[in-house]
Amino acid sequence: MDKQYNRLFWNGVFIVILLLLGSGIYLSSKSIDYTWRWERIPQYLINTDPTEIRAPFDGTVVVENGGKRVLVDPDMGGEPFVVERFDVLSVGDGDMVFEGDAVAGIEDWRLGPIAWGLIMTLKLSVVALVFAVVIGLFAGLARISSNPALKNLAITYVELIRGTPLLVQIFIFYFFIGTVLELDRFTAGVAALSVFTGAYIAEIVRSGIQSIAPGQMEAARSLGMNYVQAMVYVILPQAFKRTLPPMAGQFINLIKDSSLVSVIAITDLTKAGREVVSSTFAPFEVWFTVALLYLVLTGALSWLVQKLERRLAASD
Amino acid sequence: MTEHIDPSIIVAHGVDKVYPNGCHALKEVSLEVNRGEVVVVIGPSGSGKSTFLRTLNQLETISAGEIRIDGVSLTDRKTDINKVREEVGMVFQAFNLFPHKTALENVMLAPMKVRKQSRKEAEEKGRELLYKVGLADRMHSYPSQLSGGQQQRVAIARALAMMPKIMLFDEPTSALDPEMVGEVLDVMKSLANDGMTMVVVTHEMGFAREVADRVVFMEAGELVTQDTPEAFFDGTQNTRLQRFLGQVL
Repeated sequence: MDKQYNRLFWNGVFIVILLLLGSGIYLSSKSIDYTWRWERIPQYLINTDPTEIRAPFDGTVVVENGGKRVLVDPDMGGEPFVVERFDVLSVGDGDMVFEGDAVAGIEDWRLGPIAWGLIMTLKLSVVALVFAVVIGLFAGLARISSNPALKNLAITYVELIRGTPLLVQIFIFYFFIGTVLELDRFTAGVAALSVFTGAYIAEIVRSGIQSIAPGQMEAARSLGMNYVQAMVYVILPQAFKRTLPPMAGQFINLIKDSSLVSVIAITDLTKAGREVVSSTFAPFEVWFTVALLYLVLTGALSWLVQKLERRLAASD
Repeated sequence: MTEHIDPSIIVAHGVDKVYPNGCHALKEVSLEVNRGEVVVVIGPSGSGKSTFLRTLNQLETISAGEIRIDGVSLTDRKTDINKVREEVGMVFQAFNLFPHKTALENVMLAPMKVRKQSRKEAEEKGRELLYKVGLADRMHSYPSQLSGGQQQRVAIARALAMMPKIMLFDEPTSALDPEMVGEVLDVMKSLANDGMTMVVVTHEMGFAREVADRVVFMEAGELVTQDTPEAFFDGTQNTRLQRFLGQVL
């Protein structure tokens, strides 16, 4: 049935199309007279500028031990300010320094704003993901419950959340619920993201459980297990395996959706990108970098899930 | 609990089952099964025999009547149905093995989680049971790697691991290829010889004739007649049974 394609040829076609697209982007960027300044980007990821040690008060510099030890004698009298660990000296013996002047510097590297943004995005996503899974699991179970109160609560929750935009929900969480409950930005952001994602996970959990043959529940119950035991040991492990692909999609969506919390001034990857654009005037480079970093996060997650799927496939 | 020994371990009296859609599945079915007795239930499809079997461990609720298992009433609201089910093993037509667990893990699960046995204890018993059903070499296979007959034998071992007082079999060989029916029936025969109380819904007339202490015929939700296999298969006077036997034999 399957048509036999010449693999070499068609993979070649694929690469040629990619190259054409790439050169198209390159040529169009030429036509708009944009100067690419990729060299400006790395320092916003990792900053290698030396950390400056500044004088805490006005005084006079004394260099001792052949340049191994620096003192600042205060003009007002009192204990001198001593610096023993440094890599570069910014002053000479006998120099007058004022409060806040650089005395020496330590060579080291620090994370730049984009890296911090990446860490914030990762933190937001992981925390929100944990809560979303818990919320989604219980909402999904409530959704298939025969108790009308539980069932209707779950339906209302899912419909309410799925029917309104995430951006609006983030504003509501921050400005209304956040004000009432005095939540900080991060908590409000995590709450909005996990409540939003939880509704989608609830639907995935529901369909996953319903896809397991009823005979499984009957067999478990006939062995004397109660409902919870049957769920935990028999139904959910099977449903988990079956829902892994849609779950992975939802988790990836969560990482991407987390960019929306930048509107409540959480400095995540997106907001960091916006800040760096305003200080570098290199929007193209910054946004390409930000996109690539998101891709790294989501790609790593896909890879992890695929590994997990392969491990769980042992019983197929 | 009173400790008088009642010879009947299953007492079903006037069991009625009406589905919400109005289908009258069981009509005043009464049956008593003694300890150690093997009762085979036969009848055309749709006669309610599987439904009746499933009421005995409350996988199906009943609309009227009473069922007592080992003196415990299932219709009593204070009865913990999970406790009753621990004593009543069930084997299904579709095996219903847990696909994410190996044969041995399938057998070990309920003893560990319900009877709170240690892993070691459950594993020892599990190995012994799988050996008994002839699957000593397939303990670590997943259900998907086993044939139908092998899966059904694991399912029997799984039910036996709870050390039930009663075993219910719901058409255990109907989903099997013909060459695998024998291996499952052999396990069931040896179980009957060990003195297990069994209620078996089946189309295997040979098994009924050979192993049953009593054969029950159901049709259209009614228990039509019951008798010893000899009287049942040879020279019954019941016309409905005669017509059914004429079709299947």
